[in-house]
Amino acid sequence: MRSTYNDEVMDRYENPVKYGKMEKYDLKIEDVSTTCGDKIALFIRLNQGKIEDIRWEGEGCILSVVSTDMFCEDAVGKNIESFKELDEVKYIESFPVKISPGRINCVLLPLRAVKRGMKEK
Amino acid sequence: MISTYGWKEDFPIFKRKINGKNIVYLDSTATTQKPKKVIDAIVDYYENYNANVHRSVYKLADDATEIYEKSRVKIADFIGSKGEEIIFTRNTTESLNLLSYSLEETINKGERILITSMEHHSNILPWMRLEERGVKLDYVNFDADGLLDLEDLKAKLKKETKIVSVTHQSNVLGTINPISEIGKMAKENGSTFIVDAAQSVPHMPFRIKEEMDFVAFSGHKMLGPMGIGVLYGKYDLLDRMPPFNRGGEMIKDVDFHNVVFEDPPIKFEAGTPNVEGAVGLAAAVDYLKAIGMENVRTHEKHLTSMTLEKLDEMKNVIYYGPRDPEKRGGVIAFNVKNEAEIKRKLEKRNIKVDGLYHSHDIATFLDDRNVYVRSGHHCAEPLMRTLGLTGTARASYYVYNGDEDVTAFLNSLGEINVQRRSHG
Repeated sequence: MRSTYNDEVMDRYENPVKYGKMEKYDLKIEDVSTTCGDKIALFIRLNQGKIEDIRWEGEGCILSVVSTDMFCEDAVGKNIESFKELDEVKYIESFPVKISPGRINCVLLPLRAVKRGMKEK
Repeated sequence: MISTYGWKEDFPIFKRKINGKNIVYLDSTATTQKPKKVIDAIVDYYENYNANVHRSVYKLADDATEIYEKSRVKIADFIGSKGEEIIFTRNTTESLNLLSYSLEETINKGERILITSMEHHSNILPWMRLEERGVKLDYVNFDADGLLDLEDLKAKLKKETKIVSVTHQSNVLGTINPISEIGKMAKENGSTFIVDAAQSVPHMPFRIKEEMDFVAFSGHKMLGPMGIGVLYGKYDLLDRMPPFNRGGEMIKDVDFHNVVFEDPPIKFEAGTPNVEGAVGLAAAVDYLKAIGMENVRTHEKHLTSMTLEKLDEMKNVIYYGPRDPEKRGGVIAFNVKNEAEIKRKLEKRNIKVDGLYHSHDIATFLDDRNVYVRSGHHCAEPLMRTLGLTGTARASYYVYNGDEDVTAFLNSLGEINVQRRSHG
């Protein structure tokens, strides 16, 4: 049986490491999907273009929550500009479980939010 | 030979194994699977009868026209109308859009249209369109059990209400509305009465009644092919209405600046029609008639009762719509409580604790187990807003589902609770 909700995914969902508001941030990006009901806010602290810390708040499905939390953890120390080039297919492949086509938007939520947020910056 | 319901042999798709296992298809409210008889009828049409209809004078074209018109009569008989009152469309959505456009001259600024809060978008958006012309759209509420509030309907049925358009069976709550009673109230008020029968004609005995001016339904939701829908209309009303689309087939005479339209129903069928769809739908009607619509309804009631009884025992599951299987069809929208989310939200002291798994997660969890349910807002966002939800999962049954599908569904759903524990 395929198991989308394996221990790695569920551990991350129940114990996210980057969940919660940040007091002082340089950039806040909000994204809402009205059809899905997903709502996230990303708080980013920058130091010369490098992500010093990033946290998130909001709600969504398990896949979007897990993806957002992993995205935030991985992003620390990276140059925010580097996400402009990050390929969506590669990002989906890096997700710990295989995702059906109908759920790709859930996993891409944080990446698309950052890409959009940088355009609007 | 047609099998008794609950048998899957008549439906080739159920031979397919996914991940080495049978599929449990619980999304017939969205679309139904097709019996071999329907598929064969379509193949037979293309192999033996295909030509354009209502145009040419040679033998093959006569055959095609005859088979198309016989299909129309078969569908008319199925719901108790006359053939010339059956218009072939693409689907329920197109049938209702046809009405929105062809009836727009009968409704003026300041007048009203009455629908309900449990409509599918296809019975909302064609009427919302007329708000641009200064028409007011009113919605009848439903109560906590998912039953339509008939007192509210009475209050909102005003002198200015020109059109009343109501779903016979909700595609989310499953609620079966007292359509004749509502229709009589609408007619006493002098309103045009329209029934969205997309979820009723496929699932229960349905006969056209005097109070019904128009009835819309889809072929693909009743074992027929996609791309064929039906609009029933009272002949004298159809005769007075302007056409929706214009072009080939639907004229008696055209000169450079004038046109005389054909009589109904051809007046409303501009262009080459979906003959294969009509033939396939007629074969689907034959199949359903052989089972008997009373039996279809009884079978679905049985599967629904069995499901609701088990869901009542599952403390983490919430379902919507009437508890009484007599008042609902075989469509069950539900959500599953999410303890992890409730805990996190309580820790945050956020008072907005709904604590439900996202419906897409429920559907993916079940998909991992080959159980196919729909998730999301089911094209009924005003209904979701009324329930205070962004979505639900939804299981729905039809003739090919059996007790084994209910068991597979409920066992899989039960695993949402224990999946973490089983891993220690």
